[in-house]
This record gives sequence, structure tokens and C-alpha cells, in this order.
Amino acid sequence: MKPVTGRPRGDHLLYRVVWLGALLLLMLGFAIAAILVWGTVKFVIDHGLNPSLLGTIYQPTHDQFGLLPFIAGSLVVTMIAIVVALPLALSVAVTVIATLPRQMQMIRQILSGLVAIPSVVFGWWGLSLLVPSIRWISGRPGFSLLAGGLVLAIMILPTLSLLSINALDRVSVRWVEGSLALGATPDQTLGRLILSVSRIPLLEASILAVGRALGETMAVQMVIGGRVLLPHGLLSPGATLTTQLLTDISLLPPGIPGHYVLDFMALLLLVAMYGMVVLVERTRRWSL
Amino acid sequence: MDSKAPDLAVRHLSVRYGEQVALSDVSLDLEGGQVLALIGPSGCGKSTFLRVLNRLVDRSLEVRYEGEVVLGGIRILDPDTDLVALRRAVGMVFQQPSAFPFSVFDNVAYGPRLQGIRSSHRLRSIVESSLKKAALWDEVRGKLRRPAASLSGGQQQRLCIARALAVAPRVLLLDEPTAALDPLSTTKIEELILSLRGDYTLILVTHNLQQAARISDVTAFFRQGLLVEIAPTREMFTAPKCAETEEFLTGRYE
Amino acid sequence: MRGQTWHRLALVGAVLVFTLFIAMIGDLVWQSLGVLSWHFLWSPPSEMGHGGIGPELLNTLVMVGIAALISLPLGLAGAIFRVEYRGAPGFLKVFDRVRFTFLSLPTIVIGLLVYQWVVVELGWPLSIRSGIVALVVMNWPFVVNIGIEALSGVPDTSREASMALGATSSQTLMRIVFPSALPALIAGLGVSTARLLGESAALIFTAGINVAVHWSWSMPGETLAVHLWYLRTESLAPHANAEAAATGVVLLGLVALVLYLTQKIAHWLKPRDYSRKSA
Repeated sequence: MKPVTGRPRGDHLLYRVVWLGALLLLMLGFAIAAILVWGTVKFVIDHGLNPSLLGTIYQPTHDQFGLLPFIAGSLVVTMIAIVVALPLALSVAVTVIATLPRQMQMIRQILSGLVAIPSVVFGWWGLSLLVPSIRWISGRPGFSLLAGGLVLAIMILPTLSLLSINALDRVSVRWVEGSLALGATPDQTLGRLILSVSRIPLLEASILAVGRALGETMAVQMVIGGRVLLPHGLLSPGATLTTQLLTDISLLPPGIPGHYVLDFMALLLLVAMYGMVVLVERTRRWSL
Repeated sequence: MDSKAPDLAVRHLSVRYGEQVALSDVSLDLEGGQVLALIGPSGCGKSTFLRVLNRLVDRSLEVRYEGEVVLGGIRILDPDTDLVALRRAVGMVFQQPSAFPFSVFDNVAYGPRLQGIRSSHRLRSIVESSLKKAALWDEVRGKLRRPAASLSGGQQQRLCIARALAVAPRVLLLDEPTAALDPLSTTKIEELILSLRGDYTLILVTHNLQQAARISDVTAFFRQGLLVEIAPTREMFTAPKCAETEEFLTGRYE
Repeated sequence: MRGQTWHRLALVGAVLVFTLFIAMIGDLVWQSLGVLSWHFLWSPPSEMGHGGIGPELLNTLVMVGIAALISLPLGLAGAIFRVEYRGAPGFLKVFDRVRFTFLSLPTIVIGLLVYQWVVVELGWPLSIRSGIVALVVMNWPFVVNIGIEALSGVPDTSREASMALGATSSQTLMRIVFPSALPALIAGLGVSTARLLGESAALIFTAGINVAVHWSWSMPGETLAVHLWYLRTESLAPHANAEAAATGVVLLGLVALVLYLTQKIAHWLKPRDYSRKSA
């Protein structure tokens, strides 16, 4: 007897073509990781395991590669962004789900339009309104970690709102009516049922938003001030891994000693993103 | 409300959703502690009637109602009726089991916790007595921490009844509680309803005429938003007054 | 009804969010009014003022159009393999991790890589073609995602019904799966194109921040988004802020147009359900 094969004959061409497509994507993905690792290796070959890496002084042309200011800057602006954006996004989601049943579809469309606003537009807006406002209120220059974080918060708001709406939308009407029929107030239904049921999807949404904020370059670069300093207060200027990459690709072109520190910074970002992907995978497993 | 299961009096109740009339000029009386079965073709307004009694109907869009509904002395259509208190007094069980995605225990304890009961000892005794009343205790004892979704459909439906009973209501609304269940589970729910009769006023929407005949004291037949006939169940099923009712009961309807 | 305090607070928050976005877009439009004109749309940029965005507009359309066209088949192939053939579970896990990580990779990193390998190693100039490479690399995993979501939206019962009638999987794909997935696919492609239109970090060191006097594949090709960034951070031109705002308005207009058209087409292609209306 002939063995049963999964694919009928005549399908081999299509199968091979799409298989090749999938393989190419995988290879490109691995190539990116490999290039960054290779760059990092070259960095280590050129400069050894430089003790300055853990320091705060960053002068790549003088063998000083303290990356701490950038890592701290990235973490601070991302924290500000998620802390500011999450309550607002939840507000939008609760309003759309619980308060305005009919207009829901329209608001979703508006939000998915807002998701597509280019990040430089947020940067422009940060420069023309946010930075002057902070300057006016604080008397400092205004270019600051705070400005970077707030620009990011506004930038991730549409995405985070949409994801939160989708998370809350999975809560069945039957549960909501069951809760109300037991004499729960709308607030109690929200807190003890809706938010409790959707906490895992909301966590996943937040991780995705953090990923987007951590990877953003342009909008932050425009308002953060671009100073290599350990953050000492929200109003101080700073830099992040991404903004420093943007600044340094032109200042440290290949061939200049210290160029490969950029590959190392990019590798850190890649590892962070991979960590988030794995984390989202985990949260999905919890929610099952 | 006093300790006796409350009486229900409905006078000239009309409900419309926008332009669509769901109930028009319905009047009926029900003595406390009895089982009222609502029968009629789909879309006849029986579910709307049920959702009026705990004002869940307020959630529907563009809903308007008039008339008077008095349940155990409370005029439940008054605009300033306390909906939270009303819904605690009037429990409801839905067609699809609506067990929350929590554990069995947390499902039953949900209502008491809303009322601010924190003591784990009291919660446990409420959960146990409610599950016993719902004839589910023997099947779930020792499994209280399991997710409710791991129970069978019939068990989930009884869990929903236990959950409703845990708030100590005086009235229980049942919206086709056995429509999604197998015959064995249906029998269990029917036995449960009979055991609750007397302590609670029960109002049951059902598509299953035999079920109405088996477990109700009074049957009301609705058609296109009108209450066609209401009578003690035995009378209704043996000698209906209206020709329309007879047609429906004998299956010659539409 | 009592107990709605949090709902009211949420409403206030939601109104705040939408006010913020309306104010933001309103401010952009308001500040652009001084320079926005036909002249601005067609003329080359100038550091002396009274410049325009003509070349940027052309570069953006060409680069985004070509990058979208190239990444479409590449991405679709991956998506078809992932949804229709699946492969071994271990492969699936690796594939998904790679595509999600790739997708969330900061675009500046893609800019760095293309700069190192295409511009420096291969010796391509800072040019439109290098920029297209960066855009394709960036768009590829995104299209794979769109394809996967669109194809998985087609219920398995349709596939099984088709196979049960003796269709091969490629026939099923062409006659059943693609037509049903097409609306979602087109809407998704609109989103990915809008994302390309707004990209700047990946292009600064691949396509450059200048425009050539005569258009060429091998000449620098600044796009609208890059131009907006350049105007607002480096440029010394008078009215740079207004020109940046005007560039932003044009960019937003393009994004909105792409999204609107693709949504319209997607909606038009969707099989209509006539039974719903009468009910």
C-alpha cells in the first residue's frame, strides 16, 4: 500500500514557494541577530570587555562606553509612558465598552486611524507644545525625560486603547448581566468582574505598548534633549538607547574606533524585544 | 419585604423598544410562593416581562415602559427605585449558564462579597448552604476551588441558581433555564424548582410545555406582546378558555 | 443608578484623550496654514525659506509604493505557509518568536543594519534604492502578520468543504481562502502602507536627508517624514516650524487617504449579508 501523504499531488510548486518565503523570513531574522552579535564580538575584540561599559561616561572615541545612562533613560521614559497612558487607555476602553454601546464601532475606527499617525508628528507636537509648556512651568529648558515620556504616552495611547477595548470586549454580556442581576453596581461589576476577568489580556496589551515605547526613536529624540547623563530627576535632559543610536550612526561611522558599540546597543534592544515576545507567550498560556 | 415570599401584581404594563412594542397592557396577579410559567411563541414578550421584574430591561437601547408593577410592596418601575436592592431581592438565572470564569466558590461568594461580607467563615457557610439548596453540594464538595467552567452544563446551571440564592432573594426569575441542557440535568433543575416553591416566588420562562405543566402552579400565555390567558396550570392545560391558547398547546399554532 | 463613579471618571478620561488628539491635529493644521499652498506642494525645499516638499512627496510615493509591492509577495508567502501548511510544532514556535521579535525591532536598528550592510559593505549610495531596502526589511514581518491574521479569519469549515469536493490545497487557497480573506488583507495592507509612509528612523541613514536636483535611484531620497524631522531639528530655514507643520499635514493627509481608500475597497469586497437588514 502507498503511504498516505498530507498533500495531494499538484501542490508541490505552491508549497515550495511559500515554504521558501517562510524560510527567507526566518533567515533574515536570524541574520539580523547574527550581524548584531558579530558586531558585538568585534566590539569586544577591539576594546576587550571594557570595564567602562558599566560606568556612566560615554565617550566612544576615548574608549569610554558607559551605556548606563541610555539604559536608564530608556527605562525611565518607557515607565512614564505606560504609567500615564494605561489609566487613560483604560478610561477609553471602559467608556467604549460600558457607557456607549452604539458608537463603539465608530470609535474603534477613529482609534485605528490615530494608530497610524507617524511618530515624527508626535515629536513635532512635543516640540511645539509640550517642551514650551514644561519650560514655562518649571523654568528649565523643557527638553527632558518627562517630555520624552509624555510624547511616548500620547503616541501609544491609540494602540493601548484599542488593545484594552479588545481585552474588555472578551467579557461576555452574560457575565455582566449575571453580575448586575446579583445586585452589583456598575462599578462593582467593572472592578470585580470585567477588569478581573480581563487582567491577563490587559497585561499583554501593556507589554506590547511597552515594547512600542521602548523601540520608538524619532519622537523621543526630538524632545529629550540628547544629553548623556544618568537621569537625576524627570526634568533633566537625557538620552535613550534608540535616540543615541540615531545620533551616533553619523558621529561614529564604520571605520571609526568604537563604531561597534552601536551593534551592542542594538543587540540590547533586540534582546529586550525578544524577552517581551517570550513574556507575551507566557501570559497567553496563563490566560488559557 | 416580609419573610413570606412576595406577591406580584402587574397593572397595565407596556414596554417598547424604540418603535417596536414588546409588551402591551399586561395585567396579572401572582400569589407569593407560587411558580408562574410564561409560555408563548418566540418574540412574544415573555423574556421582556422577566427582565422588567429586575429592571435588567433598562440596559436595552431606547426602552420605555409604563404601567405599574408591585412586587412584595415595592413599586419596581418607579424611577427612584434602588436597583441594587431590587436585584438583590430578585434573583435571575439565564438560558445559557452564565457562570463567571472564577472558581466554584468565588462564583457563589460573588454576591455576598458585593454586600461587604469578608469573613471567610461566613462566606463558607453561605456558599455551603446555597449549594445545598441548589442540590449541587454533593457533587462539588471538595472541588470548590476548581474553575466553574470544569463543571458540566447542568451543574453550571445549578451553580448559577446557587449563586442567585446566596444573595438571599425572595423571588427567582428563570429564563428558559433548561433550554441548553440534557434531559437528566433538566429533571434535576425541575426537582430543584419544585423544592424551592413556597419559600420563593418563582417565575419561569419556558419553551417546553410539558415542563410548564409539570412544575408550575399558574401558567400565562403570551402572544405578540399581549397576555392572552392566565390561569391555574391544570385548568389551562385541560380546559383553556381561549381558542388561541388551545391551538398553541396542541401544537397547531402557526 | 448608584455606583457609577468609576464609569464617570472613565468618561472624563476618554473625553480628555479625544480632546487631546483633536487639539493636536488642530494645532498642526493651524500652524501650517501660513505656508500650505500648491506652490509648497510642488517646489523643492530651500534653506532660504519659501521652499516646498515636491521632491519629498515624489520620493515618499515611489519608495513606499515599491517597498509595499516587494514586501507583499514575500510576506504573503510566509503567511500562507504559517496558516495553510503550519509545519512542525517546534518550527511554528521558532517561526512565531522570530517574526514577533523582528516585528517589534526598533526601526532605527533596521536603519543601522541596512546602513552597515547595504551602504557600507555593498557600497550602495545613500539613496532611494537603499531606502527601499530598509523599508522592505521593516515591512516584511508586518505583512506576514497581516497575512496570518487575514487567512486565519477564514473558517476551517470552508477549507474542509472545498477539500471534501476534491480540490487540492492550492485550488482551495485560490478559490476559497483568498477571496474570503481579501477584504481583511487589503485593509491590513492599508495599515502597513500607512506605517511605511510615516517611517523615518530607518531612512535617515539609508535614503539620507537630502533631495537630488535630478531624480535618480542612486541619489539621496528624503521622504516627507524625514523632512519633517529634519525641519524641526536641524534646519535653519525661516518658517521651519510652519513648514514642518505643513509637511505633517500633507503626511497625515496621505496616511488618511491610504487608510480610507483601503477600508472602502475592503468594505466593497466584503460579501454582503442581505438577511441582516430585514430582521
